[in-house]
Amino acid sequence: MNRRTLLRHAAQLGAAAALGSLPHRGWSALPRPDGWSAAEEALLDAIGETILPATPGSPGAGSVAIGRFILRMTADCHPPAAADAVRRLLGEVASRAQAAGARPFPELPAAEQERLLVALERQPPSARAGVAPWRHVKDLTLLGYFTAEAGATRALRYDPVPGAYRGSVPLRPGDRAWAT
Amino acid sequence: MSSHPTTPGARAHTYDAIVVGSGISGGWAAKELCEAGLRTLVLERGRDVQHQRDYPTALANPWDLPHRGRLPRALAQANPIANKCYAFDEATEHFFAKDAEHPYVQEKPFDWIRGYQVGGKSLTWARQTQRWSRHDFEGPARDGFAEWPITYDELAPWYSHVERFVGISGNRDGVEGLPDGEFLPAWEMNDAERSMAGRIEDAFPGRRVVQGRCAHLTEARPEHLAQGRGRCQSRNLCYRGCPFGGYFSSNSSTLPWAARTGNLTVRPGSVVESILHDDATGRASGVRVIDAATKAVTEYFAKVIFVNAACLNTNLILLNSRSRRYPAGLGNDHGLLGRHVAFHNYRGSLNASLEGFADSYYSGRRPTQPMMPNFRNVTRQETDFQRGYMVFFSASRRGWTRGQGAPGIGAAYKEELTLPGPWGIYMMMQGETIPRYENHVRLSTDQRDPFGIPQLVTSIGYTENDERMIRDFLAQGRAMLEAAGARDIRATDDRRNPGLDIHEMGGARMGRDPRTSLLNRWNQFHTCPNVFVTDGAAMASTGVQNPSLTFMALTARAARHAVEELRKGTL
Repeated sequence: MNRRTLLRHAAQLGAAAALGSLPHRGWSALPRPDGWSAAEEALLDAIGETILPATPGSPGAGSVAIGRFILRMTADCHPPAAADAVRRLLGEVASRAQAAGARPFPELPAAEQERLLVALERQPPSARAGVAPWRHVKDLTLLGYFTAEAGATRALRYDPVPGAYRGSVPLRPGDRAWAT
Repeated sequence: MSSHPTTPGARAHTYDAIVVGSGISGGWAAKELCEAGLRTLVLERGRDVQHQRDYPTALANPWDLPHRGRLPRALAQANPIANKCYAFDEATEHFFAKDAEHPYVQEKPFDWIRGYQVGGKSLTWARQTQRWSRHDFEGPARDGFAEWPITYDELAPWYSHVERFVGISGNRDGVEGLPDGEFLPAWEMNDAERSMAGRIEDAFPGRRVVQGRCAHLTEARPEHLAQGRGRCQSRNLCYRGCPFGGYFSSNSSTLPWAARTGNLTVRPGSVVESILHDDATGRASGVRVIDAATKAVTEYFAKVIFVNAACLNTNLILLNSRSRRYPAGLGNDHGLLGRHVAFHNYRGSLNASLEGFADSYYSGRRPTQPMMPNFRNVTRQETDFQRGYMVFFSASRRGWTRGQGAPGIGAAYKEELTLPGPWGIYMMMQGETIPRYENHVRLSTDQRDPFGIPQLVTSIGYTENDERMIRDFLAQGRAMLEAAGARDIRATDDRRNPGLDIHEMGGARMGRDPRTSLLNRWNQFHTCPNVFVTDGAAMASTGVQNPSLTFMALTARAARHAVEELRKGTL
């Protein structure tokens, strides 16, 4: 059901007022948290795009402002140690990029970016207690992408108002998972 | 009818009936009393919440929420108790009382989850609605710990009365231990669940798997459309408030229905401090209210008072209703007020995976799941623990979250996560706990809340009976999952505190004998008959069912009785 149909159904039930009063306070409107630079946000965008790149039919995580999302969530929803973990990861990615091609990570070819992050993921986890940097950034990348409009509606299927539940639906090849 | 000269203009503060609380049972009291022509005042301690208008997140997409539904850390840290509730998140937190708003003393750990607003927790309840059977009413006397003063047959017509208005979906399953009701069409099981149900029933003769029954309009009948409610849209965003009125709440249903009679006054921001007792008449005369904003004290008067403040706050108000006649709280001549508090045992759960059904999926989001009527000690004692439990389970295909913590990067990893994952199973228990004298609440003698009201002390814990029941469920759950073909079965005892079930019951229990109970068969105080308690506080035992349907049926029945007694002039 699209938004117009939804509005019509809601209007029939007098729910239009509730629809109209919905605050549109999307996360992207939130500013970058203090203490982070545009370059750091861009580096997170590039890391996110490498984890979940554009594929036929859906954009990658880099195009849903994943960097801003990771920084916002880290600042607002996680303990202070998570910010240190993000900094450590960004430092490690930057130094590996320099070692690999003497260029900043965002400027490396996509294949090189992927190879670099695969190697990073495969390294044994640090014995250090607390927030694991790679796991933290990767988990937030998945959350941010699949709950973003593009991820939910194009990489997955999103139906805000299904109208009914059907318990037996044949799955055809290529059918996407429901976003919610 | 007495008068209290302490309030100037008492006449303007006088109603036929006062209902304390606007949640699921208070809303029903208001509806029934208003329909009978009584001018009714509903007092709600929290803010007003109007249906539709005050559901700010009801239609928000995931990306419309600043943190995609995740709770900001400051809010989580400020609410360590509320934050334990599965339904407390960025999209719903405005419907939960914040921990600091109402402090209490945990002599034993108790997670008290509260909803301080018009509609109370009826906005955020889990909406599962099963009738009790005769075994649930008769079992406590058989086991020697309580005696219900009513039978299933007496309550059955009131279940029907409530079910028709609320709208309950379900199948007519013909299970004696879980009686059928007035049902709207049931929700479907998915293919995996249907297979599991058949295999469990085959392997365990006598056990039944039936679809859950819930307060959702799978079909909007004329009586629901007349309330302004429409069919459930299978969004499963219920805890935000439903602008379609797809599930039952006081806000969408009973309160607007009561308002239409012209007899209803709702006063939000009204913290009831106590019930006023007139020693001359032997009746309650009204209630004392502290305004939540100004802290000004006022009094309201009525011929009949329904206390529906939710179990523990009802206990608190009654304990704090001290008079010369009742120095220890209303009706509390024997010291049993606040005693015999019980709850539901949710500690056991199992997770598993299920192979197969790779080409089967589902669409829409369902507000219920398959359930199993209690199969333990139903008609006689059979196990090393008393009473029993219901089992709930569901099967669903895993989503993108399976990628968190799993290795992978790049296009193939992403594409795999966009497809439905393998099937997973979640199974849980809902166990009866036995009301014990030792499990109680009382007033603190030295701590007061921000309104100057004594804080409640909670002293409620598990017993060895509960531990044995958990062990039995985890063993039986594992055996049933194995029979259903599940793999990777993992059993958990989460050791949660009492209270997080949000099914606390008792403290002002019903009973035949005034020496061992507070309320009679009509939910009236044995000794103060114009005060009725029809929320969870009245329960003499907990049953294994989700309790709200029984609270509603008891309320409607008691309200009818109150109206009849008023007409006869005997209240």
